[in-house]
Amino acid sequence: MVNRSSALKGFYQRGSFNAGGQAGVILEEIPNLLLMQIATWPDNVKLVTSELEKKYGIEETRLLNGRVVFGDNIALLRITPLTWWCYGAPTLFEILPQHGTSLDISHSFVHVRLSGYAVRLCLNRLIAIDLRPSNCPPGSVFSTTLHHVGVTIWHSQDGFELFIPRGFACDVWTMLHDTAEQFGLEIV
Amino acid sequence: MTSRRLNVGGFVDREQPLDFFWNGVRLKGFSGDTLASALLANGKSVIGRSFKYHRPRGVMSAGVEESGALVTLGAGDRSDANVRATTQELYQGLIAKGQNAWPSVEFDLGAINNLLGRFFAAGFYYKTFMGIPPFEWGSGTGAWMWYEKFIRKAAGMGRASRLPDPDNYEHAHDYCDVLVVGSGPTGEAAAISIADAGLDVILVEQDSSLGGNSLVLDESLSSDERLAYLKSKGVRVMSRTTAFGIYDNLVVGLLERVSDHISDPPAYLPRQRFWIFRSRFIILATGAIERHIAFSNNDRPGVMTANAGCIYLKRFGVLVGEQVTMATTNDSAYQVAADLNKAGASVTLLDARPQISSELTDIIQSSGIELHLSAAPFDVIGRSATRGLTIAKSDGSHWKKAFEKKCDSILVSGGWSPVIHLLSHRGVKPIWHPTDACFLPGATDESIVVAGAAAGVWDNVDCRESGERVAEVAIRTIKNGLSSESVAATMGNSGTKSSVIPLYEVRNSKKKFKSFVDFQHDVTSNDIRLAHKEGYVSVEHLKRYTTLGMATDGGKMGNVVGLALMAEAAGKEIPDVGTTVFRPPYTPVSIGALAGRSVGKNFRPLRKTALHDWNIAHGAVMIETGLWQRPWYYPQAGETISEAYVREATITRRSVGICDVTSLGKIAVQGPDATEFLDRIYTNAFAKLAVGKARYGIMLRDDGLVMDDGTTWRLSETDYFMTTTTAHAAQVMAWLEELLQTRWPSLKVHVTSVSDAWVGISVSGPKSRAVLESVSSNVDHLSNESFPFMGVREVFLKDGVECRVARISFSGELGYEVYVPADFGSHVMEKLWVKAAELGGCLYGLETLGTLRIEKGHVTGAELDGRVTLEDAGLGKMASSKKLFIGSTLRRRPELLRQDRPKLVGIFPRDRTTMFNAGAILKGADSAEECGDGWITAVTHSPELGHWIGLGFISGGHSAWTNKGVVSLDPVRNRNIDVEIVSPHMVDPEGVRQRG
Repeated sequence: MVNRSSALKGFYQRGSFNAGGQAGVILEEIPNLLLMQIATWPDNVKLVTSELEKKYGIEETRLLNGRVVFGDNIALLRITPLTWWCYGAPTLFEILPQHGTSLDISHSFVHVRLSGYAVRLCLNRLIAIDLRPSNCPPGSVFSTTLHHVGVTIWHSQDGFELFIPRGFACDVWTMLHDTAEQFGLEIV
Repeated sequence: MTSRRLNVGGFVDREQPLDFFWNGVRLKGFSGDTLASALLANGKSVIGRSFKYHRPRGVMSAGVEESGALVTLGAGDRSDANVRATTQELYQGLIAKGQNAWPSVEFDLGAINNLLGRFFAAGFYYKTFMGIPPFEWGSGTGAWMWYEKFIRKAAGMGRASRLPDPDNYEHAHDYCDVLVVGSGPTGEAAAISIADAGLDVILVEQDSSLGGNSLVLDESLSSDERLAYLKSKGVRVMSRTTAFGIYDNLVVGLLERVSDHISDPPAYLPRQRFWIFRSRFIILATGAIERHIAFSNNDRPGVMTANAGCIYLKRFGVLVGEQVTMATTNDSAYQVAADLNKAGASVTLLDARPQISSELTDIIQSSGIELHLSAAPFDVIGRSATRGLTIAKSDGSHWKKAFEKKCDSILVSGGWSPVIHLLSHRGVKPIWHPTDACFLPGATDESIVVAGAAAGVWDNVDCRESGERVAEVAIRTIKNGLSSESVAATMGNSGTKSSVIPLYEVRNSKKKFKSFVDFQHDVTSNDIRLAHKEGYVSVEHLKRYTTLGMATDGGKMGNVVGLALMAEAAGKEIPDVGTTVFRPPYTPVSIGALAGRSVGKNFRPLRKTALHDWNIAHGAVMIETGLWQRPWYYPQAGETISEAYVREATITRRSVGICDVTSLGKIAVQGPDATEFLDRIYTNAFAKLAVGKARYGIMLRDDGLVMDDGTTWRLSETDYFMTTTTAHAAQVMAWLEELLQTRWPSLKVHVTSVSDAWVGISVSGPKSRAVLESVSSNVDHLSNESFPFMGVREVFLKDGVECRVARISFSGELGYEVYVPADFGSHVMEKLWVKAAELGGCLYGLETLGTLRIEKGHVTGAELDGRVTLEDAGLGKMASSKKLFIGSTLRRRPELLRQDRPKLVGIFPRDRTTMFNAGAILKGADSAEECGDGWITAVTHSPELGHWIGLGFISGGHSAWTNKGVVSLDPVRNRNIDVEIVSPHMVDPEGVRQRG
């Protein structure tokens, strides 16, 4: 099988930048993104929720809007009231057309992880979202614009997972790099 | 003025000396100094020259209200004009110079303006240069147009660098429960109370040091100690940060000066940071600014506010003069006088009031200060420095020149003006308080409260209480979820009685004098009176006529005095002549900070296809189309663009060409109602489109004009893959979402942009099938019979990559569009190219794409410019008469159905050896239409036809111009060419090749 080629190929320079001691921000591309979109309509939300829980072994009905839950080797991101992103699923979620739609969007985005003690400060240089823990605890997911580009961000236990449209990935990466350097940056 | 540094006192670090350069001369200061305090410590009195009269000006304050000590900081591309020396922190190697003077601020030839001052009164330019009598009576302002450039050159303060700004700036966002503006006693007390209540509070301070007035009134704590304490309480603190404006929904704009105080800041650090704060409650503890009094020559170097004299003494250890005369209208100057006296100055205090309290008498008696009651400053003696003061005494109704006093510094306290600017930004009108002789904040129904001196609370202890009181309101409001109306109701009236008497001007009508109201714009008290005489009755008119309050200080020093003089001239009370509205920003905000990181290459995001690197590696010259970077052409050695595109187009038509078409918009249209949805948005029917087939479609706007075109592929009964033009991809996506969410929410359809998910590769030319066969795992699927024109296949390549292929053609040749998952794009492109190269094919770019489509008469954004109907574009047959679709009604408006509307045509030059230009006007040789009969949208040299061809629109279309002379008028390039109007389908009009 052919290897996937990252949009950041040629841009990705590992190392420390102005990180004398501990880097305030750690930047990392998570390659080979697997991302399946499941969408439904208002009268099918309950049904599809139930099917998703069954398929991915999610025990409780906690598929709340703007929240992320974990199933069997996947994370389910409720990105709109009618849309989920299934992170990590290798195949499409099978769904009857009258119940909803399923779409492989793995190649649409570049997955970048930001972490480090200054990650909130760094991100708030670029996005107008209240990232304070009281408003955006781990398990939150939201969409916003970063340098005029629409991005979806998941606050995971590991940091902030950014899903950046592939075509803009290099530009957004540069912006992240330039902004993060003041906090001490490490690219791993 | 003989200011000097004291050996003790202040918060400067005498262990850390700093070198800096003033007008090219190396001077010494200390860490903790401002440029103003360092200049004063070095005995510098003339810092700049005034705007209009070029009068020498010195330091007049110690804060953001400064109107005199405006300097140009830095050099070369970092040259920054109109920097307030009073707020600029000193750093090692700082370079500053005086401005608005030649050859120097000490000796300025421009000072001749001062001698001609009587001609430079308010409205001088309008009266003198516009409609000059008698030459221009009734004939407009022609002379002004000639004079203007000279006046513009002479006007202005400082000179900005014309070089690109080398510094970085950035934007930032933050959120909190309560934002407290000002770290003086009020703000500090409020912030601590709020933090104690467990709320998230941010305290912002424009100064580098925390404490505000506490720094000089309560010297027990340094700024660092205050910071440590606040942090220990959980208060988030931002110093060097100015809240410059409040906007809707409690959004506050802040400017943080990140590295303006650093000698050699690292490149990764922004110079300034533009913050947008969103809070649930705002407390304005912004303090008050001390006012001047208008009196003759009150702008001379050595005249400053009393509070400034205090700050320079107690914060910076600088004594502003040896012989200080102070003039006051209130109590606040007395302690300052005592402090100066204690520091070694000989102090004379003039109090405009006839009597004072016993506490003040005690201060005077214990310090040995010379006090004169019912006394005021009358005229400053001295020019470039203060040498003395003529003093006036009041007889109860008039001021009369009384005696002279030798002095080297004059400190003035004309009362205090609360800083109500930020609340004014919300449209809240200030209220005049005659007892305090100042404007106090009015009531607001937003969650914003004003406290401390900004609300007319004058004592530090009272200010702390005021801060704690508003903190309680903030806490209660947030914790109980009170409405903003409830907040306003809890506030009641603010303000306490002060001891001020109103005194705005000291004048003697027998003497010609210049007493300044707005120092920065050289607006005098006589200008105010002149404006009144000339009929300017509103303060808003006064401002615009005299430019009072319109300089970078925003009228912080002069507005109240100006209003008072206006009121006096009009015989009214101050509130009756109106109140000025303060607008953002409170202090100037650099353009760089507004732009943030969106400058230069980051002005807008750059979008790259997954083939970007591959294209460049294969010699592509790239071009920006919208946000996309696309291959323009692939030159061979020594080839020009003209030679390259002719070669590429020729090879493509004869063999095979490959082009990156990834930038086309791609939208997944899914759901059981997807077909119905497409039927509604496209002019032609999609209901009968079979699975595995593609169809060209055009969508109209509501008004019946063409919005976009593209092909849509049916992948299954409920699943479509739509392509759009590159230019309109985002617009179409937003349009489809809008339709589904607002007009047809009952349709079970989801649309998802998959533009980034797929790489698009166009393989065109007679040998394109062979190229595709070389990579496909099943050659049989690609035969003409099994894969006809407009067919769609999901194909596995030999290496397992699954692609979508449609047999469609923009070039008019046998052609395919191959869509590959983006991460595999360059791999598949390489495979296709290896075979194409073997067959003598080529890569081609946007230029050739244009040539091929012009030859075929295919439209793009150049033609579909928002003014074109289906019929105009020659696509009228694509409108179904059997269904309704977006735009189907309004496209039948009579105006859109006129036969003489400009219609798409092809264009040949009459003389086939000549060329013509896109953008030119088409005009019939015998036409009477002055604006022409049409226009040219695209031009190329056609390798197929061997001459220049074009597309355009002309009234009535091709048939109307058969055998008629038409000229391509190009007045801009002075090139008129006779042309021939032909069918837009100039090559293979029957479309034989693409079906072959």
